[in-house]
Amino acid sequence: MSKKNNNHDETVKFDFDLSEEVSEAGYILKRVYHALEERGYNPVNQIVGYLISGDPAYITSYKDARTMIRTVDRDDILEELISSYINKK
Amino acid sequence: MDKFYIQGRNKLKGEIQVSGAKNAALPIISAALLAESKSTLLDIPDLRDVRNLAAILEKMGAKVDFTDNKMEIDPASVNKHATDPELARKLRASYYLLGVMLAKEGKARTSLPGGCNIGNRPIDLHLKGFKALGAEVKIEHGHVEVEADNLTAGQIYLDYPSVGATINIMLAATMADGKTIIENAAREPEIIDLANYLTVMGANIKGAGTDIIKIVGVDKLEGQEHRIIPDRIEAGTYIIAGAIAGEDVYVKNVLVEHIKPLLAKLTEMGVELEEDISGVRISAAEKLNSVDIKTLPYPGFPTDLQAQMMVMLTQAEEPGIVTETVWEDRFAHIDELARMGAKIKLDGHTALVHPSEFQGAEVEATDLRAGAALILAGLAAEGLTVVNEVSHVERGYENIVDKLQGIGAVIQREPVGRVTTG
Repeated sequence: MSKKNNNHDETVKFDFDLSEEVSEAGYILKRVYHALEERGYNPVNQIVGYLISGDPAYITSYKDARTMIRTVDRDDILEELISSYINKK
Repeated sequence: MDKFYIQGRNKLKGEIQVSGAKNAALPIISAALLAESKSTLLDIPDLRDVRNLAAILEKMGAKVDFTDNKMEIDPASVNKHATDPELARKLRASYYLLGVMLAKEGKARTSLPGGCNIGNRPIDLHLKGFKALGAEVKIEHGHVEVEADNLTAGQIYLDYPSVGATINIMLAATMADGKTIIENAAREPEIIDLANYLTVMGANIKGAGTDIIKIVGVDKLEGQEHRIIPDRIEAGTYIIAGAIAGEDVYVKNVLVEHIKPLLAKLTEMGVELEEDISGVRISAAEKLNSVDIKTLPYPGFPTDLQAQMMVMLTQAEEPGIVTETVWEDRFAHIDELARMGAKIKLDGHTALVHPSEFQGAEVEATDLRAGAALILAGLAAEGLTVVNEVSHVERGYENIVDKLQGIGAVIQREPVGRVTTG
């Protein structure tokens, strides 16, 4: 993502690399991130809370984010996060 | 006296919707007073406890509008730090206003809490937490008063992971100076839901749902919209109903992660269960294995489902053991179930539950979950069961009669009526 979307009426350009394979976990993580952000949460804190506790109550039900995140295993999400971080370094 | 009449042995079939969680709604409604502006709370269950708490807030000066499970709370005009003594005595959760008003006004006063009579439930841990934040605590003539000129952060180790104490300390620490750490905190989902609401209002809370919660105090909070999580105890009760008398019952709006211990025990008993992303489908099994149950703090088997699970165990082919470790006196339902034919032997905190056939009888709901257990027994019983004192049940189950009728149960309330305060 190129920048944080603070105004949700505004058109925002995302610079995802389309040649890169996006995993299911990565795709869902991004959708959940945006749903949390739109509801006024700090998405990083909420996702960290979910990954630590395993409790989907951390994730808003807005835009089916809670349903979506429960379709992937937490270890797949963590794997995606760590691989993505290491590959960017 | 308000009663439920239940004609047993009817097969249950269809979909039953779970309401928002009472135990999340009550602290969240209280927390709305921390903000400077209006909050809109969605999926608030229409229950006696909720209406009593709303009435307490109104008497403190807040504007509250509650329609169709949506509650709007405007705290701008709050002008009292003390709760109405008569209303507060009826509602254990009124003690959350101690943490809220201590954070907001530096002082708070309420009656020593009421609620179900299921054992000695002191609020020592709450008070220990307030003292660690620099508050002075006084208990006089059945009232608790807390006061602090300047609430400051503290490190608190809870001797027991008490849900009420964890919530009350979180509420107070939200606006205290510095970083508060609660160790051995309770991990219940309702605490996460409260933390979600507080953080979206502007609070800084991390670790809810784990045994260490860190709160950095902030100067002000703004009201927000928030949807309450589904009630895991209501969900569990209807799942047990389906397991006793179901012929394809779908319990909808369930976060299955919150009721794993129950689902595991029912599966072990041989109940046919199908979990999906929004609910659980259940049918009664021809033959049930026996299991043993031990209640524990979350994520262990919930004490709030112990009485209902005991009814389930009477339907097994062999005896099972129920051990209660959370509330010492939570066995009042055994005498009432015995009037319906249950063979249960109590020894201290342990009950030996023998296979039993229920017959309809006139029984009394001695507390909220005991009442739920008697309704379940009534569904399994031969003939008519009359449950007295159903106001206890209506403190925790929204529209229980309509919901059970919707899946084919033959149950009537007398007199027919809506939930009111009082």
